[in-house]
Amino acid sequence: MEKSNGKTGVVSRRTFLKGVTGAGLTGAAAALTGCKSTGKPAGGTGWTPQQYNVPENWPVQVRGRVPIDPENPSIVRDDKKCILCGQCIEACSKVQSVQGYYELPIKDDITCVNCGQCTLWCPTAAISERDDVDRVIAALNDKNLHVVVQTAPATRVAVGEEFGLPPGSIIEGKMVAALKKMGFDGVFDTNFTADLTIMEEGTELVARVKNALSGGHGRGEEGHHAPTALPQFTSCSPGWVKFCEYFYPDLLEHMSTCKSPQQMLGALAKTYYAKKKGIDPAKMVSVSIMPCTAKKFEAARPEMNSAGVKNGNPKMMDVDYALTTRELARMIKLFRIDFTALKDRQYDNIMGEGTGAAVIFGNTGGVMEAAIRSGYFLLTGQNPPELLYNLEPVRGLQGVKKAALNVPGVGELRVAIAHGLGNARVLLDQLREDKKNHREPRFHFIEFMSCPGGCIGGGGQPRTALPPSNAVRQARLDSLYTMDAKMYKKRLSHENKEVQQIYAEFLGKPNSKLAHELLHTTYTDRGSHLTAKKKA
Amino acid sequence: MSKAILVDVTKCYGCGACTVACKLWNGKKYDDAKKPTVGENAQLADINWTVVSKHRVADASGKTVWRFAKKQCLHCKEPACASSCLVGALRKTEGGPVVYYPDLCVGCRYCMIACPFGIPKYEWDKSFPEVSKCQMCSGRLAKNEAPACVSVCPNSAMKFGDSEQILKDARAAIASDKRYVKHIYGEKEAGGTAWMYISDQPFDKLGFKATVKNRPLPEYTWKIINKIPAALVVWSGILTGVYMITKRRDAVKSSKNSEGKGGKP
Repeated sequence: MEKSNGKTGVVSRRTFLKGVTGAGLTGAAAALTGCKSTGKPAGGTGWTPQQYNVPENWPVQVRGRVPIDPENPSIVRDDKKCILCGQCIEACSKVQSVQGYYELPIKDDITCVNCGQCTLWCPTAAISERDDVDRVIAALNDKNLHVVVQTAPATRVAVGEEFGLPPGSIIEGKMVAALKKMGFDGVFDTNFTADLTIMEEGTELVARVKNALSGGHGRGEEGHHAPTALPQFTSCSPGWVKFCEYFYPDLLEHMSTCKSPQQMLGALAKTYYAKKKGIDPAKMVSVSIMPCTAKKFEAARPEMNSAGVKNGNPKMMDVDYALTTRELARMIKLFRIDFTALKDRQYDNIMGEGTGAAVIFGNTGGVMEAAIRSGYFLLTGQNPPELLYNLEPVRGLQGVKKAALNVPGVGELRVAIAHGLGNARVLLDQLREDKKNHREPRFHFIEFMSCPGGCIGGGGQPRTALPPSNAVRQARLDSLYTMDAKMYKKRLSHENKEVQQIYAEFLGKPNSKLAHELLHTTYTDRGSHLTAKKKA
Repeated sequence: MSKAILVDVTKCYGCGACTVACKLWNGKKYDDAKKPTVGENAQLADINWTVVSKHRVADASGKTVWRFAKKQCLHCKEPACASSCLVGALRKTEGGPVVYYPDLCVGCRYCMIACPFGIPKYEWDKSFPEVSKCQMCSGRLAKNEAPACVSVCPNSAMKFGDSEQILKDARAAIASDKRYVKHIYGEKEAGGTAWMYISDQPFDKLGFKATVKNRPLPEYTWKIINKIPAALVVWSGILTGVYMITKRRDAVKSSKNSEGKGGKP
C-alpha cells in the first residue's frame, strides 16, 4: 500500500475526522468562552441627514417634522419617503404659524389647519393630499349616479403646469373639456357661487356697516340674529377658518356667516339644480376640484349637509369628494387624455356663469376687490367708478395690505388683506388689542387667505420649485387678473345673469331665510383642543 | 463615562420623526400595515427598534387627552439579556449601550425570555434570523453623537448626556413642576437603565411595565452562578477521590488474585 511508505501525504480517514472534530471543538470552546472576534454590532448601516450628525446636543436649525394624525382628512404621510429634512416644520411654523404656536403637552387633537403648505414644501412628496381619485372614478363608472363637478378659480391657471405648460397658463376651456370627456354629468364653475358669495357676504357687510352707522344693535331680517361685529372677516378659506377657530375663537363673531363658494355650490347642486333637472339628490355625487387640501376637511365638516337636511337625509353631504388640482391632473393622466390638445369647452348652464370679480377670488386681495365692486353697488345703488376695477393697493404679494376708499353716503371704508396665516396674526393680534382697549375698529372688512398668494398658492396646487416660489405665484396671479380684465365679459358679481336668476327663481333675495339655510353656516370654537401660546 | 437619555413624555406630539430616524440609520424596513411605528397599534418588532405609542388618558380635570410614549430598549445598567447570553452576543458597553453582535449569536433566544421589558425580538421571517433590538446607536455614541432618534426630535423631548447629569436633570424637572408624577421610570427599574422617563401621567397608563422589580435580574441568578466554580472544584475533588479509592481497591484486588494464581503453578 502507498501509506506504508509514510511519505505520500495522503490523509487517512481517521486523521481527517480527528482533525475536523478537534477544530470544531476548539471553535465551539472559543465561542463559548468569548475568545472569538465579536464582529460588527447590529445596526448603524444607514444614514441620517447631515444636520443631525453633530456631537452631543448642539442645536440643529431645521429638524424633525410636523405631526400628522392618521385620521387627517386632508393630508397623509408615507414614512418610507420621509428624509427628516425638516421642511414641513419650516412651512407649518414660519409661514403658517401653527406648529410651535401651541403649548406642550398637547390635548386631544393634533393641531392642523389642513392647509397643505407642507405638501408643497416636502421634497420627496412624503406628505401628500389624501387621494380620493379612485372613489371619484368609481362614482363616474356607476351609471345610476349623476356626478357633478365644480372647478375653483385658481385651478384654471395652474393645472396646465402638470402637462408641461408654463406657470400661469390659462387652460379653463381645456379643463372643462377634460372633465366632460371623463364623463361628469354636469361641469359647473365655482365662479358662479363666488359671485353668489359676493351677494351674500356683501349684503352681510352692508348690514354690519349700516348697523354701526346707526349705532344700534341690528336684528336681521326674518327674525334671525344678524352678526354686527366689525370688521367682518371673509370665510372662503377653510384653512383660515380653522386657524381662527383654534387660535382666535374669541374673534369668531367677526367671521362672515357665509359658506365658502365650494360649499354653496354643493348645497345648491343637490337642491336647486336637482329640482330644476328633476334628479333625485340621493343619486347625485358632488365633486369639487380645488387648489386646496383644506377643502377636503371643509367638505367633511358635519354641518356641511344643508342640502341633506333640506332633502330629509342629514347623512347626505353637500360636497362628496373634494379633489386637489394635483389629483385632477393625475386623473386626466389616468384617463390618458392628451390635455394640451383638447378643444376648449364651456361650463354647463344653470351654475356655469362667472364674472371677472369671481375669478380673482383665487388671488390674495381678490375677494376684497370683488366685494368692493359689488359692495359699492349695494350701498349706493350705482356701479363703481373705473378706479375700483383695478384696485392696486389690494393686489400683489405683500403679506399685509391695507386700503381705504370713499363710498358716497357711508364715508371711508377701510379694508385690509392678509395671506399666509403668519401674516394673519398681525391683524388679529392688533384687533384683539384694540378690542381689549375699547378702540374703534381700524377696518370694516378684512380678507384672510390661508395660503401665501391666496388660492393660487394653495396646498393642493401643482408642486413647483422648492421652496414654493413667488415667481410662480406671481404668474398665476397675473393670469387671473388678465382673465378678469380681458377675457370675462362681466366684471361685477351682481351682473351675473345666473346669479340673478337663482335669486329670482329660488333664493328670493340675498340673506333670505332659504339663503341662510343653504348658504350660511356656523363655526366651532376649537380653543379647548389646544393651549395656544400667549406670545409665540 | 456612561451616557443616558431622559425622555419627557409631555413634550412629545407624536410626529414619529424618531422612528424614521431609527429606520434610516439602521436600514430597517417598513411594514405600516402589520407593524406600525406610531399610533395606538405601534409595537416594537424585529424591524421596529423604536416606536411611539399613542395613549388616551385623563388629564387633571378628567378630560381625555392624548399622550405619546417613545419605546425602545432601555439599556439596563445590569442587563439580564447579556447575563443570560451563552455566547456573549449581547454585551453591556462602558458608554451605556447594550450591544448585540449577530456574528456571535447562536439563536437560542434566552435573551428574549430574560428581558424584564420584553424588548429583544426575533427575525422570524428570515431564513437566517437574528435577534433584533435597539443598539442606542453605539456607533454614533462612539463619535460622541447623540442617538439618531434623539437628534431629530423637533421638541427636544429627549435629552442626551452623562448619566449622572441626566438623573439630576430628571429630579430637578419633576421637583420644579408639579404636573409631573413623582417617579422617574428607569431610575430604579431593573436596577436602573440608561433611558429614563418623566411624565405627567402614571407610567402604567402609557404602556410601561409597572411590575418590573428594582433589583437587577442578574443578581438573582448570580447568587447561584457564583457558586459554580467552587462547586466544580469540590465536586471534581470528590470524584477524583472516588476514582483514586476505586483504582486502589482494584489494584489491591488484582494483586491478591495474582498472588493466589502464582501459588498454584
